[in-house]
Amino acid sequence: MKIRTLIPFAIFLCLLVLSCGKSEQSKSHQDETNKLKIAVIPKATTHEFWKAIHAGAVRASRELEVEILWKGPQREDDRAQQIIVVEDFISRGVNGIVLAPLDDRALCRPVQDAVRENIPVVIIDSALQGEDHVSFVATDNYKGGVLAAKKLGELLRGKGDIFLIRYQAGSASTTKREKGFFDTITAEFPEISLLVQDQYAGSTTETAFQRAENLLSRFPEVDGIFCPNESSTFGTLRAIQEAGLAGKIKFVGFDSSVKLVQALRGGHIHGLVLQNPMKMGYLGVKQMVLYLKGQKIEMRIDTGVYLATRENMDDPDIKSLLMPDLSSYLD
Amino acid sequence: MKRKKRLQDLIGWLAPFFGLILVLAIFSSIPEIQDRFLRIANFKSVATQSVIVALGALGMTLIIISGGIDLSAASNLALSGVIVAYAISAGIHPVVALFCGIVTGGLIGFVNGSLITSLRLVPFIVTLGMLGIARGIAKWIAGNQKIDAPLTWVNELMTRNPRPSWLLLAPGVWLMIFLALVMAVVLRYTVFGRHVFAVGSNEAAARLCGIRTNRTKIMIYSIAGLFCGLSGVMQFSRLTVGDPTVAVGLELDIIAAVVIGGGSLSGGEGSILGSMIGVFIMAFLRNGSTMMGWPNYIQEIIIGAIIVVAVSLDQIRHRRER
Repeated sequence: MKIRTLIPFAIFLCLLVLSCGKSEQSKSHQDETNKLKIAVIPKATTHEFWKAIHAGAVRASRELEVEILWKGPQREDDRAQQIIVVEDFISRGVNGIVLAPLDDRALCRPVQDAVRENIPVVIIDSALQGEDHVSFVATDNYKGGVLAAKKLGELLRGKGDIFLIRYQAGSASTTKREKGFFDTITAEFPEISLLVQDQYAGSTTETAFQRAENLLSRFPEVDGIFCPNESSTFGTLRAIQEAGLAGKIKFVGFDSSVKLVQALRGGHIHGLVLQNPMKMGYLGVKQMVLYLKGQKIEMRIDTGVYLATRENMDDPDIKSLLMPDLSSYLD
Repeated sequence: MKRKKRLQDLIGWLAPFFGLILVLAIFSSIPEIQDRFLRIANFKSVATQSVIVALGALGMTLIIISGGIDLSAASNLALSGVIVAYAISAGIHPVVALFCGIVTGGLIGFVNGSLITSLRLVPFIVTLGMLGIARGIAKWIAGNQKIDAPLTWVNELMTRNPRPSWLLLAPGVWLMIFLALVMAVVLRYTVFGRHVFAVGSNEAAARLCGIRTNRTKIMIYSIAGLFCGLSGVMQFSRLTVGDPTVAVGLELDIIAAVVIGGGSLSGGEGSILGSMIGVFIMAFLRNGSTMMGWPNYIQEIIIGAIIVVAVSLDQIRHRRER
């Protein structure tokens, strides 16, 4: 009786394990023993941004003929879980780790552990404290803010009242964008005044929507707005549209999504600062491979920021950033 | 008849071991990772990764045996971790800071127990409320972001390579083993331990027998709270920052560990050894899946399946006993 009840359990597990093992193997079985194995660890796996990084990493792995192991923390954005993933890859013994750290400090020790076991680490997307990694490949966020400020200043012809809606306290990348924007506006456009510059949109579209609604009802005369990331841009866009001010307020946002691209085409958004996540994933893996092959690599690589407007949004280069085609890399 | 009963007991006791051995056997038989999976260093790192869930599971085992549940465990853990980080960054001596963290956990547990007994609410509701409250307080204290505390010896408690090296395992792992032994003895051989089982098996009968069930329950939740506090300290030690958003949903991992290890949600059953094995089954699964480079959804599916299978096995055994 006992045995009989255990049988389905065992069969189930074996099947599951075999089936996953098989699908993995069929893809990468041939001469995998002498291929370099590189773990790529994102902050999360379901967002569009990380999918683009994944696609870039896959592209590099195909070009350079290495194997990549893509694995994010089990719960999105959980620092503790990301540490576990790094440790497990150290135990497994990969040739190199490409990591987008969820925290500039908490991930230091796992990275030190990796280096101690002779596994080099390349950091992508967000900075890590310390000097243990061999290269840092990321967007120059400050420059992104500068780009946005110049565009908004130009749209307003150098004068007017604007909002700087910040994202969230303690988020390093967006804080740099905000600083770049703020510095440029105050230095280059003395006739533009910031009505609001210390309000935080919060982490979700909903919180950004509410915050922007409140600000708009307080200052309906505002001429321009800048938001430093996708969720705050979209939340603010919704508020502007609800208030019937879409198109009247000059609006520059950051990152892209289907909805933001529609708004750009419809003239509700006048500029979107874009990063190049695919390039980030690609260069992250490439740097690692070059390093493993003994070549000298640069410590800091900027993957660039770009400005999309209604006029240039159909250029092939900008289009590929606005709506990257990942289907040929991810299945 | 009696012999058959004893045999069944033995099988019941061995069932969780069987699961663990199965998991180990499966991963050790995959040639790709075989040699790496079976290295001592890997076992060390899995042990270190398990400490946080294991400490939570020690307390949760008590609660589940007593017929209750604690959904606030993970929030409590995050709050305690934040408190330690806050105290250390405020310049308080690390020992005092550790103490503060553990006591905070105990306090939350005490409040849980008191509300459950005094308001006669079901534990599910009270701890569901506390899940939000503790998480909220943690975010409030941390000012809605993480707290960067200066590095101290506290952060050495959970390192993979402990100093001095004769320790072999991180101090946190030794602490986990020690506390697991203590709790196993407490549950088996002390009056309090037997009361926990009595309350869980039949609370009314236990009260009629003269057991002060309310006091026992408050003690159970307080002890579980202390374990969450300690677990929070370990979490902080690992992260080196106080993160109020850490461990969201970890209470379900903790409960799953206890249930896989033979704990019954209707109370009266469970064991420390079983829960620990439950913790390690999940830890090794995660470890092995990562080593294989499997996507996360596969391990989520496997763990889900294991929970259902483990509990249904338990049920079948029970039905036959009756």
